[in-house]
Amino acid sequence: MFSPGYAWNELRRRWARTLVTAIGLAAGVGLVMGIIGVSEGLSDAQNRVLSPLGSVGTDIIVTRTIAPTTDKTSTTTTTTPVREVVGPGGGGGGFFAGNVPGASLGSSSQAATLLNNNASVITDLAKLGPAGTKFTHDFFVPGTLITFPSVAVSDVAKLPDVTSAVGALSLQALHESGTVPKITNKVKEGGQTIKTTVTPPVLTPTQTANERACIQKLVQGNLSKDSGTSGSSGTSGSSGPSGPSGSGGGGPPPGGKHRFQIFVGGLSSNPAFEKCLTPAQISYNQNVVVPEQTITQILKPPTTNTATSSYTVAGVNPTSGTTGLITKSQLVSGTWFTSNPADEVLVNTAYASTKKLKVNGTITINAKNYKIVGLVAPTLTGDVSDVYFPLSTIQSLASAPKFVNEVLVDVKSASDVAAVTTEIKKELPGATVLTSKSLADEVTGSLTNAHKLANDLGGALAIVVLLAAFLIAGLLTLSSVAKRVREIGSLRAIGWTRGAVVRQVIAETVGIGLVGGLIGIGIGVGVCAIIGAVGPGLSITATGLTVGASSVSSLLGQSTTATATTIVHLSAPVHLTTILLAFAGALVGGLLAGIAGGWRAARLAPASALRDLG
Amino acid sequence: MEANPTDTSGQAPAKFAGAGAPLYELAGLERTFSKGGMVVRAVRGVDLVINSGEMVSLEGPSGSGKSTLLQLLGALDSPTGGSIRFADRDLAGLSDKSLTKIRAQDIGFVFQHFNLIPTLTAEGNVAVAMFPNHVHSHERLERAKELLNQVGLGHRLNHLPSRLSGGEQQRVAIARALANRPSVIIADEPTGNLDSDTAKEVMATLIALRESAGVTIVVATHDEDVASLTDRRVRMRDGEIREDSAA
Repeated sequence: MFSPGYAWNELRRRWARTLVTAIGLAAGVGLVMGIIGVSEGLSDAQNRVLSPLGSVGTDIIVTRTIAPTTDKTSTTTTTTPVREVVGPGGGGGGFFAGNVPGASLGSSSQAATLLNNNASVITDLAKLGPAGTKFTHDFFVPGTLITFPSVAVSDVAKLPDVTSAVGALSLQALHESGTVPKITNKVKEGGQTIKTTVTPPVLTPTQTANERACIQKLVQGNLSKDSGTSGSSGTSGSSGPSGPSGSGGGGPPPGGKHRFQIFVGGLSSNPAFEKCLTPAQISYNQNVVVPEQTITQILKPPTTNTATSSYTVAGVNPTSGTTGLITKSQLVSGTWFTSNPADEVLVNTAYASTKKLKVNGTITINAKNYKIVGLVAPTLTGDVSDVYFPLSTIQSLASAPKFVNEVLVDVKSASDVAAVTTEIKKELPGATVLTSKSLADEVTGSLTNAHKLANDLGGALAIVVLLAAFLIAGLLTLSSVAKRVREIGSLRAIGWTRGAVVRQVIAETVGIGLVGGLIGIGIGVGVCAIIGAVGPGLSITATGLTVGASSVSSLLGQSTTATATTIVHLSAPVHLTTILLAFAGALVGGLLAGIAGGWRAARLAPASALRDLG
Repeated sequence: MEANPTDTSGQAPAKFAGAGAPLYELAGLERTFSKGGMVVRAVRGVDLVINSGEMVSLEGPSGSGKSTLLQLLGALDSPTGGSIRFADRDLAGLSDKSLTKIRAQDIGFVFQHFNLIPTLTAEGNVAVAMFPNHVHSHERLERAKELLNQVGLGHRLNHLPSRLSGGEQQRVAIARALANRPSVIIADEPTGNLDSDTAKEVMATLIALRESAGVTIVVATHDEDVASLTDRRVRMRDGEIREDSAA
């Protein structure tokens, strides 16, 4: 027992001492609250980042990512743009293994698949229309997450302990607009002079006679205007102005040799005369060929004004509002997909605010309007998209019907996660199976470092700070007791027992602890508020689990591991338990100080009251 | 001084039977201290009987052993030899706890420096003396008020010691000494810090209380004037009683 009135008056009337001791304790517990707050803030931040699966009602995410490879040449081995197709009975999920048993070969096959998957982005602009056509087009590519047939979803769903499995297609969208480039190339032709020198075969006299008779017959049977040519002894088979080679012109050759004479608009142009020619002469006519010529010209590359911007899209199951990349609980405004969702989209609030999109507004993609039915705030997962489509819509936009690149699995209980993970890996060899734990293991960055630091050092720092505060309070109490020697001696003299004196001292210091606790809570709340207001942003980097954040460069083989970095603002939340802990800490500090002071007081002899202390 | 002590004899518990009977019986009392290998005999074979209701002054220069003897009489210390009987109990060899209990119930103290608790009012200072005896807090305050009225400080109940004069503080101390209705008041230089007029007032208060409450008073003092006011003067030197006016 102690005298509360006495204790109260001690605290009240020696307020300066009370306050100094109380502030010592308060500073201690306030700082400890700050440390706890930062530590909890970091834990909260990390939990926010590290529990993407739990936050979407999903325990496991199955993807097929490209295995990191150093073999650069492997990325160019396949150029045939054929999507891998798996037969219905083809030994469940063989497509995950990349059809090649060896691991290194498997990764090169995966790289090829990745390129194929993303081939549509390096598309032929000519397909968008004739040159000069203005175009706006959105290309959808899977980034680093290779697509696979959606049969995998049902394969996973059949596994024991799996509650549900939902497929999703996360894609990177490249929005391109510009003009289809015109590629022109001028080639000059014509103007060449072709010289041909021929020596016709010598006709036998009989052939000559026959030919002449035939021609004369034709001439006579036709027009009289041709009479001037009747004496001609031959015809020219070649067109053009080239004259006859050889000597003599005009009259018939003296010997048996006949030479062709060339007439403008010559007889050869008249098919009727060809009947009179000998086969050798006809054949000669047909074999005259213009010699080959190579034209070389340097072309300027085509100029285009194509502007590219990228955003991320995902296809989700519109009928599954509880499991998936987004859930109904993440809906901020508007509604979920309706029963006829083909032309509907949900938009990430962050993207909506950047692009000034609103509920009931529209997004135009490849000349088709999609209605924004709602805005969603997806939790900070490794896989946040800007626009969410019904799965079938995005599959047709990406020309990937029946293909997904993520399976979101919900298991019956948390303890089944490990077992189901093993099952999935067995069922779908080559699949990347992410769990909350595996995500946590892959997360790095200043947040993790800070959290580690807070865990490692924060606890020690808190203890040191608290001990320092206790020490200060204890020393102040000892000094106070030393100053009250006569008072305490008098109490002992007039009949106060040692116990009563000790209890009285403890009552006082616990009272100081109470005051210190209250001030300390104020300090702690203030410290936490300041940390929250000016707290630095902490980065967190997650490796190998991203889709949306992957860049074109990474999917072109320059980098095979995508990373996502998120900045988390450091806050220091004050929880009730922290407040209670701080308060208890201050009281304990008061108690310890009281025990120290009481111990000192108990050692004072009652006779000290009689001593002349000056 | 206008001290108006009421007759408290009716309320006095029968702690000690009958006035005039021996309250203290000291025989061959010894108190030695060891200091750095040297043994100091502060009290050397003191034989002394103090009867109930007496007012005794204890005189002597510094180092005469009067303070040590006063501590032994006040049950603040235990002797190293001889016997000291107080109210039919032998104080020698009693535990600290027992001595504390005796002090709480049967002995009042008045100190040279008043030794009031600075953070408590006059009333609180008187009441705090009753705390070890498990007196209800309401009752404590009532009794404190009553005692302060007795010593003429009824109008100063809620004043802190720092707001009271030296004489007033000492009268508060006297009220506190009376709080538990003791058989004896041990006063150590009660006027040592007071001017002579105030000293007289304080002594008058003590004398009045002795008469009204029938309490035994032992006063250690240098002051001839104070000593002359007592019934019996005991002079000490070198740890021994050199003169006893009653002898």
